[in-house]
Parts: sequence; C-alpha cells; structure tokens
Amino acid sequence: MRCEECATKLDRYVDRELTNTEALEVQLHLEGCPDCMDNYEFQEHLKRLVKHSCDCDTAPKAFRDKLRQMLS
Amino acid sequence: MAEPAAKTAFAEEALTHLDTLYRGALRLTHDPDAAQDLVQEAYLRALRYQHSYQAGTNMKAWLFAIMRNLFWDRFKGSRKEDVSLDDVGEFVLYEKLRDEGARPESDVLDKIAASEVVTAVDKLPPLHREVVLLVDVEGFSYKDAAETLGVPIGTIMSRLHRARQQLQKSLYDYAVESGIVHSGGMTQVPQQ
Ligand SMILES: [Zn+2]
Repeated sequence: MRCEECATKLDRYVDRELTNTEALEVQLHLEGCPDCMDNYEFQEHLKRLVKHSCDCDTAPKAFRDKLRQMLS
Repeated sequence: MAEPAAKTAFAEEALTHLDTLYRGALRLTHDPDAAQDLVQEAYLRALRYQHSYQAGTNMKAWLFAIMRNLFWDRFKGSRKEDVSLDDVGEFVLYEKLRDEGARPESDVLDKIAASEVVTAVDKLPPLHREVVLLVDVEGFSYKDAAETLGVPIGTIMSRLHRARQQLQKSLYDYAVESGIVHSGGMTQVPQQ
C-alpha cells in the first residue's frame, strides 16, 4: 500500500469502518511507515479528545428522577 | 396500551440512554433548559410510539432519531438545507502542525482545553455537528448514524469529513490565538 492510499483510508480505519482485510493492509503499512503511523496516532488522539471533551456532560440527577417518575 | 410491567421495562431500558440523549440535545440546542424540554418530549413520544420500536434493534439510535427529529421540527422549522458549512477547503491539522515544526504534533492536542473542543464542536452547523456527536462522541457506526439521521452512509462520510476539517481549523485557530502554536514556524508547547 502507498502512503496516499493509506491516507484516504485513515478516517475509516480510525472509525473502525474498514473490512478486516482492508484494516489489516492499513495496519501493515502503518507498522512499516513512521510518517503514516504518526498521522494515524494524531487522528486517533483527536477523535479521543473530541469524545472526552463532549461526553463529560451527563443528565442532571433531578432531571433523571423527574423523567423516571413521568414515564412509570 | 402496553401492560404496566412491559411499559416500565421499556422506560427503564430507554432511560439507560438518557446521557446520550441529553448530551446530544445540549450540543444541538446550546441550552440546558431547552435540552431538558427536548429530551422530555422525546421520551414521552417514545413511550407513545413504543409499539413502533422493534425489540432487539438499536434503541439508542431509535431514541436519538426521535430527539433530533423533534429538534429539527421545533427549533429549526425543518429548514435543514438552510444550514450549510462554509467551505474551509482541505484543512489537515496534522500536516499544518508538521509543516510548522510542532513535533510531536500530538503534544499540541494535549494543550487544548476540553472547553475549547466543545466550543469548536458547537460552532459546527447542526447537520454536521450531529454526525460528529453520533460517530465521535457516542461511537455509532456509520450505518447506525445513517439510519438515525435518515441519510445514506456516503452522506455520513462526507459530512464527517467536512466537519472534521472545520473542527481542525477551529482548533488550529485557537492554538495560534492562545500561543500554543506560533503560526509561521517556531512552535512553543508550554508545560502546564
Ligand atoms: Zn505511509
């Protein structure tokens, strides 16, 4: 696999959306290519950052209790 | 009308997805009170249309779809096409940082506060924001996201791609403004 092909598949690799065969091809390329590996780790880091920044918001307990009451 | 026990079991299962719905509503409305109203209305509607939910399918996706449809009906008057993303062109933060000598590039990400990331997500147009919420924050597959939003998988991929470009641009601008990155060469990554 060439670096350009790896780059086009990186989003889907990070999102776990490639087929097993495609993912393995990307993985093999990454293991032999420090540049693409760096890029991959950056994208993975960015995705984690977005997740952890946004998922600390949780529903207030009083709201949860109110809903439970309302729905039962 | 469902049996009381079945109704309770359904409500209990539905409530296990409350944080996902609330977070989604909060990011869509930018207002805790509006988010609670929206989520409450979504749950009441879900209970009313309980029979249309097929047991064993993805309840989280089903509930999210109800919530976001209510959002678009109520808050946006269904004028989805009015909201589009400015074309930022191809913006790849990783390459930008590498070109400016910020190595390792990931150190820059470590310096960006969570609140700034949330601000950057909030600045995305809602149609793009909801894809980021589903795929990046809630971990939906492209297929589940596509079903939730009622669009083809290709649309999910293109919205996600553009949303990530915009997000990276916003984070880069923030990194420059706050001195984490010095645009045009020298890069300083201060220790906290
Ligand atoms: Zn490569």
